[in-house]
Amino acid sequence: MKKMCVVLDDREVQDNPFQPDMWRIVRKYPLTGDVNFFQARPVDVDEALKFNFVPGQFIMMSVMGEGEAPFCVSSSPSRPGLLEFCIRKMGTMTESLFALKENQTLGIRGPYGNGFPIEKMEGKDIMIVGGGMGVAPLRSLLLYILDNRDKFGNVTYLHGARTPGDMLFREEFLQLKERDDLRCLLTVDKDDTGMWKDKIGVVTTLFKDLGPIDAKNTVAAVCGPPIMYKFVMDYVVKLGIPKHQILMTLERRMKCGVGKCGHCAIEYLYTCIDGPVFSWWDVIHMKELIGRGANDKTIA
Amino acid sequence: MMILKMKKEDLPAFLDSVKEWGELWGPVKKGEKVTYAKVDALSQMDLKATRTIIPPKKFLYPQRFTMFDFDQDGYVERKGDVPKRILFGIHPCDIHGILIMDKLFLENYKDPYYAERREKTLILGHSCIPDDKCMCIATNTDFIAEGFDLFFTDLKMFYLVWVGSTKGHDLVRMRPDLFSRDLDKNDILNYTEYRKWKTAQFKSNVDFTGMPDVFELGYNSPVWDQLGDKCLSCGQCTMVCPTCNCYNQVDEVELGSLEGTRDRFWDSCMFREYSLVAGGHNFRDKRADRLRLWYTHKLQAYIGEFGKPACVGCGRCVATCPVDINVVTVSTALKEQEVGK
Amino acid sequence: MTKQSPKIGVYGFTGCAGDQLMILNCEDQLVDIFGATEVRSFVMAKSDNHEGELDVAFVEGSISTDEQLRRVKEIRERSKVLIAIGTCACHGGPQAMKLGEGKFDEMYKKVYGNAKITLAKAFEAQPVDAFVKVDMYIPGCPIDKTEFLTAVAKLVAGRHPYLYKFPVCTECKWRENECILYNGKFCAGPLTKAGCGAICPSHNIPCVGCWGPTDDLNVSAEYDLLKEKGYKPEEIIQKIKKFGGAKVAQIVGELEKKKKEAKA
Repeated sequence: MKKMCVVLDDREVQDNPFQPDMWRIVRKYPLTGDVNFFQARPVDVDEALKFNFVPGQFIMMSVMGEGEAPFCVSSSPSRPGLLEFCIRKMGTMTESLFALKENQTLGIRGPYGNGFPIEKMEGKDIMIVGGGMGVAPLRSLLLYILDNRDKFGNVTYLHGARTPGDMLFREEFLQLKERDDLRCLLTVDKDDTGMWKDKIGVVTTLFKDLGPIDAKNTVAAVCGPPIMYKFVMDYVVKLGIPKHQILMTLERRMKCGVGKCGHCAIEYLYTCIDGPVFSWWDVIHMKELIGRGANDKTIA
Repeated sequence: MMILKMKKEDLPAFLDSVKEWGELWGPVKKGEKVTYAKVDALSQMDLKATRTIIPPKKFLYPQRFTMFDFDQDGYVERKGDVPKRILFGIHPCDIHGILIMDKLFLENYKDPYYAERREKTLILGHSCIPDDKCMCIATNTDFIAEGFDLFFTDLKMFYLVWVGSTKGHDLVRMRPDLFSRDLDKNDILNYTEYRKWKTAQFKSNVDFTGMPDVFELGYNSPVWDQLGDKCLSCGQCTMVCPTCNCYNQVDEVELGSLEGTRDRFWDSCMFREYSLVAGGHNFRDKRADRLRLWYTHKLQAYIGEFGKPACVGCGRCVATCPVDINVVTVSTALKEQEVGK
Repeated sequence: MTKQSPKIGVYGFTGCAGDQLMILNCEDQLVDIFGATEVRSFVMAKSDNHEGELDVAFVEGSISTDEQLRRVKEIRERSKVLIAIGTCACHGGPQAMKLGEGKFDEMYKKVYGNAKITLAKAFEAQPVDAFVKVDMYIPGCPIDKTEFLTAVAKLVAGRHPYLYKFPVCTECKWRENECILYNGKFCAGPLTKAGCGAICPSHNIPCVGCWGPTDDLNVSAEYDLLKEKGYKPEEIIQKIKKFGGAKVAQIVGELEKKKKEAKA
């Protein structure tokens, strides 16, 4: 009987963690056929610079009357004041979100989740491998690293898309190829435009061009469709990068983002507070993490 | 902790007095079973009853309630429509259940809705006599040392009353004439005798030791599919479980406007929709996967994290599941690699 | 917010018209419905009906004649969203309980004898989605006022209605009822979608399944359980098919086929 009164009398007044703040959509435009780019800032402009986050974290977004869902942030905390999102139209929530126009408001609370361990990644070589919608969280990390370039070693960015038209932030990445302080390798599965000047082939073909890497000193961040993990992880592990230095971010159904609603539970972990960034080592021994069962199809 | 003594015949008068603090609720007969209901006096309560249909979590975390009202300007927290309640007759297992809920809702992003209700609800525990479905002895939840405001242990002529909080003490102070601190040798002997007697009453011999390893070993066991074939996906187990906290939420609007409410309601990991993400992918499409999640959470994952199971041995799943899937049958099936009849 | 009231129509086919009646029975909100929407056609409610393009068509009843089939197709063509209301439209209703048994001609003859029906050519009643695309289902026999009104409110606001997808057992437990099935009596709760608030079990009357099947029902487990409790196979099948409509008929058909194969 160590404690007389536990939580009963330990209730300081605090903020409601479920309280969405109102944000305004500043820009909205299509990136590809079914993916939109959104840029938002708090309605209360004084709040804009107070919103701090880490690449890889997510927020809970509310569309009034429709509901709430988690979305990862695609912009970098090194460019504060605005949040950017890269969102695919998938269901009822995103349908209502896509119907909103610039200057209309939505609710945002967060940030949540662990995010990428950016401080521990400092001084390391960084390899980022993205495919499809996996670029959404990886762009945040990449921009952060580029904005803090001197804190990191060699940076390699590998990106695969189905077609040039499907490549999210295509112009942005093509411009990155001009920089001499990172290697930006882009590929498309097939070129239906005839205008693509870069590599053609799945993302793993880019590994051939990698050359020697300092594997033990490299942190890899991988995000993409499940089929990509299946092949990419094999390559990354073969490079000799330790499994706990291979990071990935997961998607789950979430209703709260703060470890209460239970939906994102995987064994003893909650994706929302223990993730969404996990290491390949976690994934290997947590059976349900990317579901090595026959049912699991999408992680992004 | 302060332990007081009260004559049994003084309990009605005490409960009558504490009504000044808030509504009095206690276990009341409903058909063959019992539920917590609002009462005027002790005489309406059924203190012999073992378990209520759903646990007292409904007071701290109602089946469905409004979290926010919203209009164009934003979301406004809905607060303040929670009555002050005194729950009498809560058993040790259910208080253990509340402690698990406390951990979830009050630590790390404190849930203000739960906190408000917890604050406005006093827990007056009561000792109990186990029936054939009770297995709190296997989960080490047959006695309770915290989480209540007052706890009454029935020693035939007297109650020994544990005072667990300042609010519990305030209730005592409303009728100091009914309590005494005169505990003598006989009280101690009676109490030890009572503990021995209670322990001897258990009929269930379920044993959860080693369950985390059995779950790990049995992850791919065909037992899960067999259980999945039997499961009705009705979700009753999760509704009656004192440690099930999962919820869903929905926005509702007023007709002809974009003003409305954000409501929260009990959800269940037994439902197909539970792990469905936008785009149609379901992380747990099979019933077997969903059952495995639930039982893994209760008897493996929670033990790994907190050193004790997220099962408090109340026996509600045993007394509720129409197809006999419960902590006893599942743990036995996994250990014996056979689903019992 | 600038918006136009959505144009809606309410139509009835084979059924008791109870769902349309329930809409009219939303007395306190009826004015609001007519205010927030432009009711273009609702034969049961008014006489000046205009059949044109609709934002939302609410369709009650199952489809059981060639004339109804023509009309429902025509309604579908001019409606952006088509919502099946009531269990008959959603699943087929009791008139579809013999679906898949191949006994329609026999039944037809039993009811109508040799009388010549020239009005329309009848066929076995089926849910609306057997013929046209249905965007949303609001089941019930009849539909629940609150469920209907919250759905309409969301539609008017340009949002997606949310209806419970889980079985009625969940609502039943919320209301803290004893489990009828656990006590050994026939109850269709685990097969039946929530939304009614578990009215019947709350009055100690077993669920007959009038909300129709849930998305994720385990017919074979329910069947085995009831058989174990002493119910005869024919009785179980008959009772679960009563409101089960096309979906349950199909599942039962597959189960029986499996059983036959197992025997052979």
